[in-house]
Amino acid sequence: MSVSVGLNCPSCGGAIQISEGDNVINCQYCDSLLWVEGDAGVITVAYKNLQDRDGVLRATEQWWRKGLKAMDLKKKGRLMECYPIYLPFWSTTTRVAGWVCGYEERHYTDKHGNTHTERIPKEEMVLRDYQYTNIACDPGDLGIKYLRNNAGEVSFIDFESIPTFESTTSKDEAVELSKQRAMSDARDDARVPHVTFEKITVIPKRLSMIYYPVWVVRYAYGERMYMATVDGVTGNVLSGRAPGDPLYQSLAVTGGTSIGGLIGAAGLAFGIGADDPTIAIGGLVIGAVILGFTYMFFRHGSEIIDGDFDDKKLGNPLKGFKIAGTKWRFN
Amino acid sequence: MASMKCTKCGAPVEFDAGDKFVKCSYCSSQIYVDRSGAGFYYALPFAMGENDAIGVFRRWGGGSNKAKDLDKLAQISSLKKQYFPVYMFKRDVDGMEQVHVEPAASTTLPGLHSLKIPGGDLKIFDDKFDSSGAELIKPDIEMATYLSDLPGAAKEQALVYFPIWRLDYVFEQRTFVVVISASSGEVFSADFPQRSSVAYMAVAGIGFVAFLAEGLLALSSPLPAMIMMVGTVVAVFLMANFVARRM
Repeated sequence: MSVSVGLNCPSCGGAIQISEGDNVINCQYCDSLLWVEGDAGVITVAYKNLQDRDGVLRATEQWWRKGLKAMDLKKKGRLMECYPIYLPFWSTTTRVAGWVCGYEERHYTDKHGNTHTERIPKEEMVLRDYQYTNIACDPGDLGIKYLRNNAGEVSFIDFESIPTFESTTSKDEAVELSKQRAMSDARDDARVPHVTFEKITVIPKRLSMIYYPVWVVRYAYGERMYMATVDGVTGNVLSGRAPGDPLYQSLAVTGGTSIGGLIGAAGLAFGIGADDPTIAIGGLVIGAVILGFTYMFFRHGSEIIDGDFDDKKLGNPLKGFKIAGTKWRFN
Repeated sequence: MASMKCTKCGAPVEFDAGDKFVKCSYCSSQIYVDRSGAGFYYALPFAMGENDAIGVFRRWGGGSNKAKDLDKLAQISSLKKQYFPVYMFKRDVDGMEQVHVEPAASTTLPGLHSLKIPGGDLKIFDDKFDSSGAELIKPDIEMATYLSDLPGAAKEQALVYFPIWRLDYVFEQRTFVVVISASSGEVFSADFPQRSSVAYMAVAGIGFVAFLAEGLLALSSPLPAMIMMVGTVVAVFLMANFVARRM
């Protein structure tokens, strides 16, 4: 069996010009309409790299100063390596159409203390395209799993000079994941708290491969080697690991124990006299949550991690909520 | 770069790992690269040198769940630059593409069982490939062993050599091993000296209970409670600072 397969028009025998992702083409000689069978690949675009080495190093140094990283990082950090790579991402558009029916319950308490429940029926139409991106290779320790930016100049001009990471995941799996994701996002966007009936159809509309330029920066702090990645289009730091500072860790737990403890005490003080135990319990719970967050920083704050790393234990709790809702999406 | 013969004019045509269609540079006819019946050899280049690998190990050793000062006290007993082989199969199962990755050499090294192809610039591995002095681990499991059990029809099968730094270290008279992916810097480890959370929990727990008690005391006697709180702030901070730096 030969590796190479010549492409000829089945009607006139002329050589066919085809590019990846084409499904239907016209023969340039006899104008026959041809359908491409088999693995035609996917439409592939690459974004032009707009950053240079100096800009990337400056962005990294600015990132060192942000957040609760080691205070002497800007003095002791030594930039060691900096190079661009192209990372492959599956980009999908998935259309969701259908209806979600159900109701919302609202509770009212009148002045006699009686609670009424009102049921508001809801009937929501769902019709939207969802766009997601997902990395098409194993990101390893780069801390990037999806694209934050979907605008850029499309150009293959740097493609030969910048090392390109090949896609090693299945395109159909990417489509399947997008379908599941679009289904659950559409359900959330319909905002029907109690669903009694739904009919949702998910239609994959488009799949393409985006090669996105990313700069990898490696830097040393003492004897340790840390890294960061910088977006080759926008110049923003996408992900990175940085040393933390024991001073911030100690301050965090001092603040957490004092504020958390006092809120707990206040809850107990006001709640114990009252009939309703909610205040006492609520105060203790809020105090414990504050303690919990600051404890996590105290315990794991020796390394500050930005981006989609699997061993990330910390992070802005509010940011975490937002990302959980928008992961895979860039619109 | 690998090459094949043009189906029209017979001239050699070069193609790279990701190419599906290539154009003959002599007769400019287009050729589809059919990988379903052939086995390819790929390799990922080393993106990290020896010092980078040691630096990444020290960064990993300084992590919050590793034994305190593991990064400084671990004695590196050996560091080997190796290429580890895995098979990558792309299959067509009822019109859906599936990717399967299987080990091509038997190993007990950590991380190489989780079996994924690390991201990297796949190059065709032939006699022109520069393995930059890395030791090639020979595949001792045949591709055919897997082929018969895989679902669907073949789309592509390849042997991929991925670059690793195998680092052995000694900590408190015990030997441990980590594998560092030289493509992305990811660290794989099975067993490592752990750090206990007890001291951290104790500081947080004692501090919380002390402030809770002082807050309640402040209702009856505010002034002594305030003085105690100031003392507790200082004590918790000093304990926390000691624990964060030393434990």
